[in-house]
Amino acid sequence: MSVVDSAVERVADSPVVSKDDLPLLLVLPGLFVFLAFMLFPVLYLVYLSFTNAEPATLFQGKEQWVGLANYVTVLSDGQFWNSMGVTWLFVATSVALKVLVGLGIGLVVTGERVRGKRFMRALIIIPLGLPGIFTITIWRGIFSSAEFGLANQFLRMAGLDSVAWLSERWMAFLAYNVTEAWLAYPFMVIITVSALQDVSEELHEAAMIDGAGFFARFLHVTLPSIKRPVLFASILTAAASFQQFLIPYVFNQGGPSRTNELLIVYGYREAFRFQKYGEGAAIMLVAVAVIGVFMMLNVKKGQLADGVDDA
Amino acid sequence: MSVISDIVAELADDARAAAMAPVESVKDAKYTLEGIREGRVSPATVLKTAGITLGAAVVVALLLFPLYWVAVGAFSGTGASLYSSSGIRLWPADPTIEPFLWVIGDLIVPSYRISLGLGGYEVFLQTPELTFLDVSQYGVTETSEFKRFFANSLTVAIPTVLLAMCLIVPSAYALSRRQFIGRSKVLYGYVLFTQIGGGLGVALLIALYALFVQFGFNDSKLALSAYYAATAVPFNTWLLKTYMDGIPVSYEEAAMMDGAPSWKIVTEIILPLSKAGLATVFIFTFLTGWTEFVVAQTLLSTDNYTLPVGLYSLVGRYSIPWARFSAFALTFAAPIMLIYLFAQRYIEGGLSFGGMEG
Repeated sequence: MSVVDSAVERVADSPVVSKDDLPLLLVLPGLFVFLAFMLFPVLYLVYLSFTNAEPATLFQGKEQWVGLANYVTVLSDGQFWNSMGVTWLFVATSVALKVLVGLGIGLVVTGERVRGKRFMRALIIIPLGLPGIFTITIWRGIFSSAEFGLANQFLRMAGLDSVAWLSERWMAFLAYNVTEAWLAYPFMVIITVSALQDVSEELHEAAMIDGAGFFARFLHVTLPSIKRPVLFASILTAAASFQQFLIPYVFNQGGPSRTNELLIVYGYREAFRFQKYGEGAAIMLVAVAVIGVFMMLNVKKGQLADGVDDA
Repeated sequence: MSVISDIVAELADDARAAAMAPVESVKDAKYTLEGIREGRVSPATVLKTAGITLGAAVVVALLLFPLYWVAVGAFSGTGASLYSSSGIRLWPADPTIEPFLWVIGDLIVPSYRISLGLGGYEVFLQTPELTFLDVSQYGVTETSEFKRFFANSLTVAIPTVLLAMCLIVPSAYALSRRQFIGRSKVLYGYVLFTQIGGGLGVALLIALYALFVQFGFNDSKLALSAYYAATAVPFNTWLLKTYMDGIPVSYEEAAMMDGAPSWKIVTEIILPLSKAGLATVFIFTFLTGWTEFVVAQTLLSTDNYTLPVGLYSLVGRYSIPWARFSAFALTFAAPIMLIYLFAQRYIEGGLSFGGMEG
């Protein structure tokens, strides 16, 4: 920042720049457009959540103020709590899977005996450049029950029966998890690899001299040194899991029979499938509030841990 | 243009390095063999290294297998992939490019008849029909709607880029070089949104849809572009601002000494020196419009579907064989992946907080 600030100061001190308010005009158009498409809809969403808006009433300007009725309906709806539960379960399982996969791959492509590590790393992060909708429709094909479905082909090769992945609740949930892990692993690998490269060689050598084996060294040297960045990445990726929409939506619309509707999918379907805009808005706001509190707690806790480490 | 020539030069370097890689590894292998013969290196160590490397290569191959599987599917004949007996194919049965022909369809510029009135005479000009690809020659009679989706995507992505650049470049310059009221507040807000606002899109969709309908904007590709440009503003402004921060102030001071007006300093110094940053922002904003799915799917009607929505509309349509679906998906995703891979170093240059190299 110091470079920037001095840059700003020196330019501002120069005789050429004299009008103080002029640069603001350069920023305002961007700010205005951004606020028009972001802040305004947020406010409107809050308003909608207090009305009985649905397409028939809303588009004729006849929606009515119903106070907290939508929130009461939503919070007393078993469907909502099912979604909330499934969403947190998905966060827990998918984050665990993502951390394990990321760590595993990270260890493989930093292994000291592995040749061609740079090449492998370049290959591994390819999925990062793919559009989400492409990846997710392809994974839907993998879990298809049709003949070409790759997952079932693997099962058949292993001598097992085929599974109707997307029409059984927990099989669909498993499919979500696998896909989410594949979507997120490049991010996890990048963070893990850069953390692993910072692990001190000296500590490893000292541990080796003391006769520590591979697993002992991993547990007592590697893990403590990479804990922080991996934790940070898990928090970010947990937020992504919580907001996951495309996977359930593309796979089976959160089915079968609404059992796997993650929170955002639930809000979307209440609004656009069942035409209850007011309730949908309330669900979305509850979801945003929950994720906001979750992130704030994590940031706070992260800072607390920082202080502890320093002490 | 020099951005492109730089990228080409880097690609040439990459290609050379890739071409030399086998030679290098043969040299390495020879050296190792000599070492074993002379007893400097123990064969067990070499075997261990080879085994572990092979294991790692298997892991990488398994991770990327879904992509390979899509490619195999896309090159398979329709009949073969639908009715194939069980078992995973590593090579397309009955390889064909028929699915891709179905995706792309005819590339024919029809002939136009232009008539000019020249003082009483009428002159007819008949442009020739240009046939680049006539798929009916290859036995493909019906084709996909790829071209229509592609045109729709272009008419969304191009205004997005234009509008976003107009909004982002001046803001980034002002935030990087000038001091004014609320500067730090705007910056803080943008960074905050970049960190936490990513998932807000779907949550806001209800309000956005209701607003668009009430303003009569639903199904308007231009309004959609404006929305994409708005969502692209915070991250890309911040990105370009950090990039511009890396340009030394001394250049501007020298120009000021010579009496150059500020607009000239911007066009002659700041913009040319931030070309890597500009290229990065260009690619990011373009891809925002090119790859976004949820909002486009909610706001647009069938006629205006962009490529991602078009791809989704094929999902679960049982009349579309898997081979054609994979070909469609690959034709959509492969160029994006290539742009990403080729521009990766450039993007990293733009992302690295104000490096002046390149």
